[in-house]
Amino acid sequence: MSQLPGNKKRGEKYWFKRVVGLIAVQAVVVSLVVGLGWGWGLVGWNWMILMAVAEGLLLTLTLRDVRELRNLEEEMEKARRRAENERERDRVVLSSIGEGIVVLDHESRVSLLNKAAETMIGWTMDEVIGKPWGVVAPLEDEKGNKIDNEKRATKRVMQERIVLSNDKNYYVRKDGSRFSVGTTAAPIEIGGKVAGTVAVFRDITHDKAVDRAKSEFVSLASHQLRTPLSAIKWFSEMLLAGDAGKLEGEQAEYMHNIYQSNERMIELVDGLLNISRIESGRIIVDPKPTDLGELVKQLIADLTGKIKEKKQNLVITVHPQLPAVNIDPKLIRQVYMNLLTNSIKYTPEGGQIEVVVSTKDGMVLSRVTDNGTGIPQEDQNKICQKFFRAGNAVKMEPDGTGLGLYLAKAIVDSSGGKLWFKSEENKGTTFWFTLPLSGMTPKEGEVMLSSTS
Amino acid sequence: MNKQFTVMVVEDEVLLLEAITKKLQLGNFSVKGFASGREALEELKKGADLPDLIWLDYYLGDINGKEFLEMMKPILGDKWIPVMVVSNSASPQKVAEVMDLGVSKYLLKAEHRLEDLITAARDILGQK
Repeated sequence: MSQLPGNKKRGEKYWFKRVVGLIAVQAVVVSLVVGLGWGWGLVGWNWMILMAVAEGLLLTLTLRDVRELRNLEEEMEKARRRAENERERDRVVLSSIGEGIVVLDHESRVSLLNKAAETMIGWTMDEVIGKPWGVVAPLEDEKGNKIDNEKRATKRVMQERIVLSNDKNYYVRKDGSRFSVGTTAAPIEIGGKVAGTVAVFRDITHDKAVDRAKSEFVSLASHQLRTPLSAIKWFSEMLLAGDAGKLEGEQAEYMHNIYQSNERMIELVDGLLNISRIESGRIIVDPKPTDLGELVKQLIADLTGKIKEKKQNLVITVHPQLPAVNIDPKLIRQVYMNLLTNSIKYTPEGGQIEVVVSTKDGMVLSRVTDNGTGIPQEDQNKICQKFFRAGNAVKMEPDGTGLGLYLAKAIVDSSGGKLWFKSEENKGTTFWFTLPLSGMTPKEGEVMLSSTS
Repeated sequence: MNKQFTVMVVEDEVLLLEAITKKLQLGNFSVKGFASGREALEELKKGADLPDLIWLDYYLGDINGKEFLEMMKPILGDKWIPVMVVSNSASPQKVAEVMDLGVSKYLLKAEHRLEDLITAARDILGQK
């Protein structure tokens, strides 16, 4: 780049010389002609005019060449400056990014480290360039055990050609101290070959502290709410049981209402807790190979009392060759539970409920159908919203939190599946949901679903 | 009539302690109620009239259920009293920790009627 202006100067000088040279030649010719001319007469004059025209033409052409060449050079210079500016901008952007960036070659040696990465790990790029990343920034788990290079995301992404994220581990700095790190690593592929890894990372010590504070708050709040709820539950239970003397007529009825409302409040607190857990992503997803047919049968055994009470007819069909699916049984049980309790609640006595578990296009497809009260057309787009309950449902069953379908949908969505339905008022409702046959992705979290909702 | 069992109830919420005590007495249990973990441990240190069962809340005003169990062990020496934890919250980690310390049952308060909790207590004593 630096020799380009020099080239240009040489170019200018050359053309300048050529023009000066031409003028000099013309001057010599003119003086010769003037000196000898008087004797030559018309022939001399003609010749001189011809020469002048030719020289003028030559001069014009030369000047045009110079102009064109100048323009060309100016444009090239502009393009060069643009490219240089862009390179400089990329360099500044890369080094100004708040996240640490490290680029490794195909043998996991450092080939680039941005400023944020330098600050975080305590090494400068000059100190570590060409050194193995595993030595520059050792990775440890929570307990301080070193993580093998082969198991590190930066290495695995090259072998498996996938993008990996992790927020469980710690980088050890130059001074031996360590920090909680969130990393996303991706392979660099050039022409179908893996040439290295680019990893983006940041110090998540603060995020983790905030997360902890949040989870402590939720647990504390639930504790605080549950204490008075338990007191109401137990005292009203004792009053209803006649432990403080038999209640008469309306007394018993009102006490029953208090008890029921309190039960609903307990469900609401549980539901809210579960939702905050799912929404904050702190929920534990613990997939185990699960026989979904068995899961559904066990669940139905728990609901038999209610089904018999309403004299409903329940039919279960499970695909005979359904393989064990790697899902979190607690979470998926909740989905079937919420759909089925809705069907039981909103289907009149003697109604029909059907559960079918089959497979389709690499997914497990589950269907829960009833011939109950249905979801009114105008409520259908809101039915999966938090706290929403359809108008006819509220009339039929005043108690309810409006959280069941929301939770079911949230669980299915976060499991890589889909949940949808078709319903007609007074005819019935069918809910479908899918789960990938390949199973759910495990997730270490801090909390599980509360079991009562 | 069966032997009357004694239950030590450790629950820092006075109203809940009152309800549990009342219901247990109605179920023909003898009850020793404590609103603080340390006071209950002091009682155990006396070594006399040890209860047949301890009904333990997790978050006590002064210490937590895990600490209570850890402190109880050296006090009892080679004796053992079955414990049921009746708590407001049950994070998997907390449950695993106290179950490791020999707790017989871990139950959530708001999930159960008092009647059911007393049945659970009877079950544990029946196993004894």
